[in-house]
Amino acid sequence: MADKFEPNIVGFLCNWCSYAAADLAGSNKLEVPATLTTIRVMCSSRVDPVMLLSAYLRGADGVLVAGCHPGDCHYQTGNYLARRRFALMHKILETFGLDSNRFRLSWISASEGKRFSEVTNEFAEHITKLGPNPLRKMPFIE
Amino acid sequence: MAKIGLYLCECGPNIADAIDLDRVAAEIEKDGKVAGIERHKLFCSADGKKFLAESIKKNGFERFVIAACSPKQHEGTFAEVASDVGLNPQMFQLVNIREQCAWTVPDKEQATGKALRFIRAAVTRVQYHQALEQKEIDCNPDVFVIGGGIAGIEVALRTAHKGRKVFLAEKGELGGMLKERGLLFPAMEPAGDFLGPRIDALRNNPQIELFENCKVKEVLGFFGSFVALLETQEGKEIELKAGSVVLATGAQAFNPKELAEYGYGKLDGVYTADEIEKRGVGKLLTESAKPVKSVAVIHCVGRDKLGYCSKMCCVNSMKIARQIREQSAETEVVELYRDLCLPGKGYDRFYKETEAKGVKFARFESVEVTGGDSGLTVKYKQPGGTGAELAVDMVVLSTGLAANPSNPELADMLSISVDESGFFVEEHAVLNPVSTMTEGVFIAGCARGPGDTRDTIVQASATAGKVLSSLVPGKRLQLETRTSEVSEKLCVGCGTCVTVCAYGATTLDESRHIAVVNEVLCRGCGNCASACPSGAAKHRHFTTRQLNQEVTEILK
Ligand SMILES: Cc1cc2nc3c(=O)[nH]c(=O)nc-3n(C[C@H](O)[C@H](O)[C@H](O)COP(=O)(O)OP(=O)(O)OC[C@H]3O[C@@H](n4cnc5c(N)ncnc54)[C@H](O)[C@@H]3O)c2cc1C
Ligand code: SF4
Ligand code: SF4
Ligand code: SF4
Ligand code: FES
Repeated sequence: MADKFEPNIVGFLCNWCSYAAADLAGSNKLEVPATLTTIRVMCSSRVDPVMLLSAYLRGADGVLVAGCHPGDCHYQTGNYLARRRFALMHKILETFGLDSNRFRLSWISASEGKRFSEVTNEFAEHITKLGPNPLRKMPFIE
Repeated sequence: MAKIGLYLCECGPNIADAIDLDRVAAEIEKDGKVAGIERHKLFCSADGKKFLAESIKKNGFERFVIAACSPKQHEGTFAEVASDVGLNPQMFQLVNIREQCAWTVPDKEQATGKALRFIRAAVTRVQYHQALEQKEIDCNPDVFVIGGGIAGIEVALRTAHKGRKVFLAEKGELGGMLKERGLLFPAMEPAGDFLGPRIDALRNNPQIELFENCKVKEVLGFFGSFVALLETQEGKEIELKAGSVVLATGAQAFNPKELAEYGYGKLDGVYTADEIEKRGVGKLLTESAKPVKSVAVIHCVGRDKLGYCSKMCCVNSMKIARQIREQSAETEVVELYRDLCLPGKGYDRFYKETEAKGVKFARFESVEVTGGDSGLTVKYKQPGGTGAELAVDMVVLSTGLAANPSNPELADMLSISVDESGFFVEEHAVLNPVSTMTEGVFIAGCARGPGDTRDTIVQASATAGKVLSSLVPGKRLQLETRTSEVSEKLCVGCGTCVTVCAYGATTLDESRHIAVVNEVLCRGCGNCASACPSGAAKHRHFTTRQLNQEVTEILK
């Protein structure tokens, strides 16, 4: 099993809800995939589709964006705007020849450490099944 | 390239046991991007902080990365260390290898790999960090009162008396519901005698600036620094700045038009208590100018529709009834009540006095007013079910108080809520009854729920006290440092950032055709930076470049 595929997943977490949930998962010693590396942003609305595309072009096997539940954004409406911005993300991925399930947008509140663990494990499993990002091998032009 | 130091925290056994820190140190050293690596058992301890500070100074590090716990836990701690050694507090990155690695990845080898990815991303990112200035502003001690009824007037007078500058915006004329009253229960003093001197005091107080016939268009900002935009009747806009906002928008007499059983608006001789007072409770005449010989005053009009008892209408009905009797002893007055609500001090005596003046009281369960050639008929069902009928010349409908219709709009502006009846919701109904969920926003008077003048003044005094104690002149406010900025060169003036900002922090400078960010209002969410099509809007410390560097490093 030495050559078992290990995905590389990037997670953008909003500071107020999902990042706190990820910390809580840790405090409760709940497992989170080793293959997920997180990036803290202040709000899910800070992430834009171009940023995600460049992650896929650099070989990300999966990208997770997680923020506060609708209505709970620390900045009032940020997550609604994020949701709208990502509405077309699945379609865009397909035009690049990527499985649209390589992208996931989740709402995880600060108290949902368990949910954070579940969502990330389930996502990582799914990505492992999908296999490597076919764009991985392509040269990236800066 | 800036000299970067890397610090690895063991966190006792928390990190040291879960992650192979020796391997981390060896691999990062091999990358050749850091100028030095040091370890400590507990960086957040007094000893750890001292070690960190001395190491940064000794090695001359210009930036540093510290792999330890969550930034939610200790970002502030290490920002202080950075400041202490003369670095800008943005010049480091705290990597969360405890909560989001050591504690969540049980396999040590995997955890070490994940920690390496996290740390490499941070080492790359920190090279792109930019120094940011911590701006402070003086907390503005001025008070902005919305509503010029007795509640707003009292708050203005009391806070101005303690030296505060007060702005008071009233959508119409000063005085609120009291301005059209004749006598006021329970003292039966003319409302004008009570209100007049207060309005004069308001007008003559140099600390108070009045804006009558003005609409509040917008309130932005936060505790210590609100910016309000008013619009005059002529369409002129006025901007004012204050540290706290008091909502004293009052209430209004319920309009019984929609309740068919009272014949209000259809039958001659049916009036509301409010109208009777406005006409003056002098010698009452019928529509055909004959003296009124009999009056029925019906209580609780609208109580079911409103969904609450307004507390002041029973006593107000008696105030009208007794005045009618005082004017003409031949006029029969019957009060039809459902429950007598006499909550105030002295109100029971007021009721007994009213009865002594010959006002009759009868209890009803349901009531209907019909009209005929000879006058009005009030049919009512008594408790127990027997029906009764009164033939009268006039009916006075004692209505409750309905919420001010502009409350929801103001609540939206200030991020607070209104209840199902439209009154503002307090921070806590029992413990914090005059403050709201938004710091620096207070409520006074009937804006909070129905009440009489005494209730209103009690509350207004409490509100004034709260405002005075929370807004102490000389207090400084630290502004968010990680705000957004707009590049003048790149901005195309499309206004997208203006649309997405929930705080009104971005505006278009019409003359230069670019967007500008108000740093006092910006909360640093980064939404505008994502929305901007030209890359002109930049979220400080979370720039696209910094985030992309992290992504690139993670995916290497
Ligand atoms: C018919 C009647 C008789 C009464 N008789 C008595 C009595 O005899 N004795 C007694 O103790 N109490 C009496 N009351 C109750 C008394 O009027 C109230 O307790 C008191 O007026 C409440 O004061 P307030 O300032 O909270 O509200 P209000 O008097 O309603 O004042 C609110 C003010 O805010 C202004 N406003 C509203 N919205 C805005 C906005 N968006 N922007 C700017 N300004 C705004 C309004 O124009 C108004 O001037 C009576 C009430 C009624 C209806
Ligand atoms: S800085 Fe954080 S990781 Fe280090 S000892 Fe303190 S709590 Fe533990
Ligand atoms: S970062 Fe942008 S969108 Fe967010 S508050 Fe500041 S100006 Fe508004
Ligand atoms: S969205 Fe960007 S380009 Fe458009 S006005 Fe705002 S800063 Fe300028
Ligand atoms: S702050 Fe969590 S989504 Fe906006």
